[in-house]
Amino acid sequence: MKAIIMLADGKSFSATALGVKGEAIGEVILNTAVVGYQEMMTDPANAGKILVFTYPLIGNYGVAPKFNESKKVWLAGLVIKEKTRIYSNWQAKASFDDFVKEQGLLSITGVDTRTLAVHLRQKGQMLGIISTESFDPKDLLLKIERFRKKQQESLLAQISVNKITHLGKAKAKKKIAVLDLGITRGIVKQLETLGLSLILLPYNTSAEEILRLKPDGLIVSNGPEEDSGLDVVAENLKRLINKLPILGISSGHQVLARALGAKLSKLKLGHRGVNYPVLSRAVYKGEITVQNHSWVVDIDSLNKIKGIKVTGFNLNDRTVEEMESKKMKLLGVQYYLTSPGFNEVNPVLKKFIKMLN
Amino acid sequence: MPRRKDIKKILMIGSGPIIIGQACEFDYSGSQACKALREEGYFTILVNSNPATIMTDPGLADVTYIEPLSVQMVTEIIKKERPDAILPTLGGQTGLNLAFFLMKQGILKKYGVESIGSSVEAISCAEDRELFKKAMQEIGVDVPKSGIATSVEEGMKIGLGIGFPLILRPAYCLGGSGSATAYNKEELEKFLAKGLETSPVHQILVEQSVLGWKEIEFEVMRDCADNVIMITSMENVDPMGVHTGDSAVVAPAQTLTAEEYTNFVNLSKKIIRRIGISGGGANIQFAQNPDNGHIVIIEVNPRLSRSSALASKATGFPIARVATKLAIGFTLPEVMNQITGKTTSFFEPTVDYCVFKICRFTFEKFPRAERVLNTSMKAVGEAMSIGRNFKEALQKGIRSIEISRFGFGADGKDKITDEMLVKPENGLLKVIKDKIRVPNDERFFYIRYALKAGLSIDEIYELTHIDRWFIDNMKQLVEMEEEIKKFRSHKPEDEVKVPYELLLEAKKDGFSDRQLGFLLNSKEDKVREARKKQNLLATYKLVDTCAGEFNAKQPYYYSTYETNDEARPSKNKKVVILGGGPNRIGQGIEFDYCCCHAAYALKEEGIDSVMVNCNPETVSTDYDTSDRLYFEPLTFEDIMNIIEQEKPMGVIVQFGGQTPLNLAVSLRKAGVNILGTSAESIDIAEDRKRFKQMLHKLDLLQPENGTAFNFTEAREVARKIGYPVLVRPSYVLGGRAMEIVYDEEKLEGFIKEAAEVSGEHPVLIDKFLEDAIEVDVDLIGDGETFVIGGIMEHIEEAGIHSGDSAMSLPTYTLSKDILEKVREASYKMAKELNVLGLMNVQYAVKDEKVYVLEVNPRASRTVPFVSKVVGVPLAKLATKIMLGEKLKNLKFTQEIIPKHVAVKESVFPFNRFPGVDVILGPEMKSTGEVMGIDRDFGLAYIKSQLAAGQNIPSKGNVFISVRDKDKRAIVFVAKKLQDLGFHIYATSGTAAALETSGITVKILPKIAEGRPNVLDLMKDGKIQLVINTPTGRIPRQDEIKIRSQVILYGIPYTTTISGAQATVNGMEAMLKKGLGVKSLQEYHKKAKTKR
Repeated sequence: MKAIIMLADGKSFSATALGVKGEAIGEVILNTAVVGYQEMMTDPANAGKILVFTYPLIGNYGVAPKFNESKKVWLAGLVIKEKTRIYSNWQAKASFDDFVKEQGLLSITGVDTRTLAVHLRQKGQMLGIISTESFDPKDLLLKIERFRKKQQESLLAQISVNKITHLGKAKAKKKIAVLDLGITRGIVKQLETLGLSLILLPYNTSAEEILRLKPDGLIVSNGPEEDSGLDVVAENLKRLINKLPILGISSGHQVLARALGAKLSKLKLGHRGVNYPVLSRAVYKGEITVQNHSWVVDIDSLNKIKGIKVTGFNLNDRTVEEMESKKMKLLGVQYYLTSPGFNEVNPVLKKFIKMLN
Repeated sequence: MPRRKDIKKILMIGSGPIIIGQACEFDYSGSQACKALREEGYFTILVNSNPATIMTDPGLADVTYIEPLSVQMVTEIIKKERPDAILPTLGGQTGLNLAFFLMKQGILKKYGVESIGSSVEAISCAEDRELFKKAMQEIGVDVPKSGIATSVEEGMKIGLGIGFPLILRPAYCLGGSGSATAYNKEELEKFLAKGLETSPVHQILVEQSVLGWKEIEFEVMRDCADNVIMITSMENVDPMGVHTGDSAVVAPAQTLTAEEYTNFVNLSKKIIRRIGISGGGANIQFAQNPDNGHIVIIEVNPRLSRSSALASKATGFPIARVATKLAIGFTLPEVMNQITGKTTSFFEPTVDYCVFKICRFTFEKFPRAERVLNTSMKAVGEAMSIGRNFKEALQKGIRSIEISRFGFGADGKDKITDEMLVKPENGLLKVIKDKIRVPNDERFFYIRYALKAGLSIDEIYELTHIDRWFIDNMKQLVEMEEEIKKFRSHKPEDEVKVPYELLLEAKKDGFSDRQLGFLLNSKEDKVREARKKQNLLATYKLVDTCAGEFNAKQPYYYSTYETNDEARPSKNKKVVILGGGPNRIGQGIEFDYCCCHAAYALKEEGIDSVMVNCNPETVSTDYDTSDRLYFEPLTFEDIMNIIEQEKPMGVIVQFGGQTPLNLAVSLRKAGVNILGTSAESIDIAEDRKRFKQMLHKLDLLQPENGTAFNFTEAREVARKIGYPVLVRPSYVLGGRAMEIVYDEEKLEGFIKEAAEVSGEHPVLIDKFLEDAIEVDVDLIGDGETFVIGGIMEHIEEAGIHSGDSAMSLPTYTLSKDILEKVREASYKMAKELNVLGLMNVQYAVKDEKVYVLEVNPRASRTVPFVSKVVGVPLAKLATKIMLGEKLKNLKFTQEIIPKHVAVKESVFPFNRFPGVDVILGPEMKSTGEVMGIDRDFGLAYIKSQLAAGQNIPSKGNVFISVRDKDKRAIVFVAKKLQDLGFHIYATSGTAAALETSGITVKILPKIAEGRPNVLDLMKDGKIQLVINTPTGRIPRQDEIKIRSQVILYGIPYTTTISGAQATVNGMEAMLKKGLGVKSLQEYHKKAKTKR
């Protein structure tokens, strides 16, 4: 089925739709990872986006429910170069096609994703529209404009748990509250591995409610950026700082920074991939990290806040990657806290657990 | 951390000659390392025995030694130069082993030399099977069940305990040489004995077979601050059971889930940390059970490897450069990524394309060898291709390996036609199934036949264990063929009429115009025409390490069919250099050396160089050798696409060997400006008739000859000129299908084969000059001035391919008169052909007459050798001449006759092809070369033998068995050996001749007649040298047995009388004078002051 993707600046690519018809508008983002399509598609942080994979061959190893990072695909649309015809991996339970159809995701293939990626690098991230219905540039651009003007509703209500949910061990040494802004399965799994008692909280749970649960620490999870629902979270966090140890992850780190009074700024092109180097100042040892964000915490505004130290920065563009306050027992990381493999636990999570004592 | 200041002088060990398992990838890594060290101001000392390398160019290291890579010689160098550190990780297994033995023998300690890059402990941990197994178990990494045996009995016990099939791997062997798979008790015993012999430490690993499992590789690097990065994953298309050096490989891995990928990365990091590499890289090979994901580790290479060269070229990440910087104490964040110019090396490259590596084999050179692939590597070269999908990369890869194929079949060259496959007979079906079940070099083509014959993906998977994903991609290509065929032309002249969309799809799937022409009952140029008309042109994309995230500063290019062209042709003047493609016998590193020099010369002249090549092992495909690099197949279509894109002032075809030269005519026809000697002159030299006319005109001699297109014509010619005759196809390199023929019966057989190789060109028939001395001349000319670079005398007599002969520069037996004749003839021909650039001539000298054998108006295999010996960069000068410079201005107007002597010796792959006879002939068989250089011929020759791996003895027993013809000549040799204290063993015939001359001989029975015979003595280590010349055209079984044992036990040998004479001369010189070392720089300095 014939399809098109058009960017807000008028650049377009012809494509073929994979089964699902319709139209989708959203910010067009790139991810440069070679594997992990299912994980990226089900990551709530990408909610409402049109995701472009720069790796051209997608679907090779099929899909399996266990690789879902959340309950469903949150994307507005998906853009790929070549969709595989068969899948081949012993763990696969279904094909990529079936998955896309089941999720009702508007996905297009046959796109020159390299050129699309280079265009976004040069021009910056922007809105785009995928359509199988209209191919008239004027009409498509008009739709993008209308979308831009419309006040975007918060997706957090849908993404976050709708009630306080207990996970992990019922009785453990440590009890951790997790503010669910779109948490990924990978993090929950690691926290479970640590043998903690977990309380998953709706994103708008009030500070009082959280304190009433008497957790040993709070994790503000990763999730979508630029969501209007995050304002509430920032307000709540202001009242929690200095009351209990807090770890912010990715967008959670950004909200935490906002709660501290720092500002955010948007990157021309987001950091989305698995190869981002993070280094601490004056130390030669760093980590290669997984990232998925378009916003960063403004370093100058952060430096003005007393007691907060920037402990890690992105080696490519020197943006803030880590902040820490020993006194306030705060930890913020811009990158994803993924497991290093075999479900081992990310050292930052371990560090945070230590902080609880 | 800043670089280390406690070390100042660093010794680098190269990898020696090109052999199977160790090719020019180590020239690439070594040169990158040299540059990286010198950038930091270290004093670098380099030793390598291979003169054809860029790394041994005098400008690359501060001091360059071309000496044998033996403990003894390197010790001499250490003594003389007193380096602070040794960098052993860039010289392949040879360099690593050498460093290890230097350590074991206490030499490193004695002279206070530290091993950097990989500590001795790390090397031991990765290379010693027992230590390795223990280390892996410690960190919870599974290894295949195995045991180490030091005797056959022990091996049998271990093997029977594990159960069949079993893999046997001798310790400290490169390229898996001596590795074998045993399916039963008998094979186990046989392979154990062989493997124990092959291993330099007499250790063999007996291992559970993981045949048919997925083979996955990861390339990792670690610095002294414990930062670890992953360069790329690689998935072998051929599953376990085929040596990774022989497998087709894709990068990145295609069939791993994200979770599996992360787990592999996790294991790789643990492994590199446990092995203890703290300033370098490693290649880690895993096997994974495709049914349950179970992972076992196969091996770790704690050094730069063939795979790391591939990983480097596949991603753009300069692994060798970075590894070197890490070895001297830098951390990854401190080393810039020169491709992006924005990021540091602490960054994992990511790709937005599919890379395919495919190997080049040369079974046709060894007809007696079994045409199967297994765990012992057999490939002589490889090509890498890049596409936006696997199908495109696969097709480009196949057309890159120079086997006259233009993609995944469908090019009119398929052995089995579509008609035969519609309803295949059972017999044919069986052949197809066998050919895909047992791995071999034609397997992909047979998978295509299988798909066409209706075999399902599952059936093919069961037979091959090649992942279904790859098979399905191949199936898509087969289906695409059918779609295209629907638009067949009625007549080949008709205009091609394929819908734009379909044509675009076909091009996106990598179909070449040639394939499309065949499928459409049309012609390549018709398809090209149709494409251009519809504006369906190749676009170029970048290898930029970052999938487009950054605007790369120094990327390289590959073609594909997409919406946007990212090539950035500059407005500068530029020249395209066509490279040589994959290494193969007859065309190797020598040509890459020349191409690199062309690029360097262009840089000096301020002209942009545009390199086209597809060989990932080479220096020419390094990101900083040329101004722009196109990683593309060397076919007319692919080259024309680049030329139309770049619009160069000219193209250099002289340097890449026969591959680009063969394209010269069609490129010129397409209006391309060929730089240097004209295509017309090239044609005169290549066309026998025109060549004959020229020689006649110049009053030069040539062996009587003729040309023929079929047997009848050939018989006529042969009768006229008289046997023996030399038959060969025209327009081929490396003496392919070349043969000396003594009678008509043999002639018929060879004409058939020769005609097949030659195609539409005729077969050449020359009178064979028996016992003539061959001479090679390299010459450079600018149209006005012509200067001989070097005159080389072959040590073996005429009839042995010049690429296989040892040769001496300067000559060592030729009279002044003969040399004058050779010079005169060379200059005459050069003038006549108006040589602009390089020319090579081969002569035969017999009865004081000089015969011209052939003229090649291009860079020859000996150019790097000559350049190093005389100290003049001939290829560089030739490039400048092509751009209009004159030799006068370049200050090279007189032949330099060196005061020292250099001998080039060839190195053969016989140990890879069990049962193949080791005798030499007109068909080239060597894979590489070494050089011995010293003050006289004897010393230079013996060094060349040592460098070639011949373990020349200083005492012991020599076995001599020669044909009747050689019996007079051998007396002198035997006499000298006796004088030097050797004991002579011989069979009755040879013994009789020797005894008459008063030589004491121990007579051994013929093999069939009694024991102990020579085979027993060789096995017991009682024979230190074998001199055995073949008796006739059809060697006797006894001889073949003796000669194959020689290979098995690594006994030095010679199969020619001239070789034997040179060897004893050398042995005498070695025993009387001893061997010293001297750097190239010293030799050149001396030559300059004397001039």
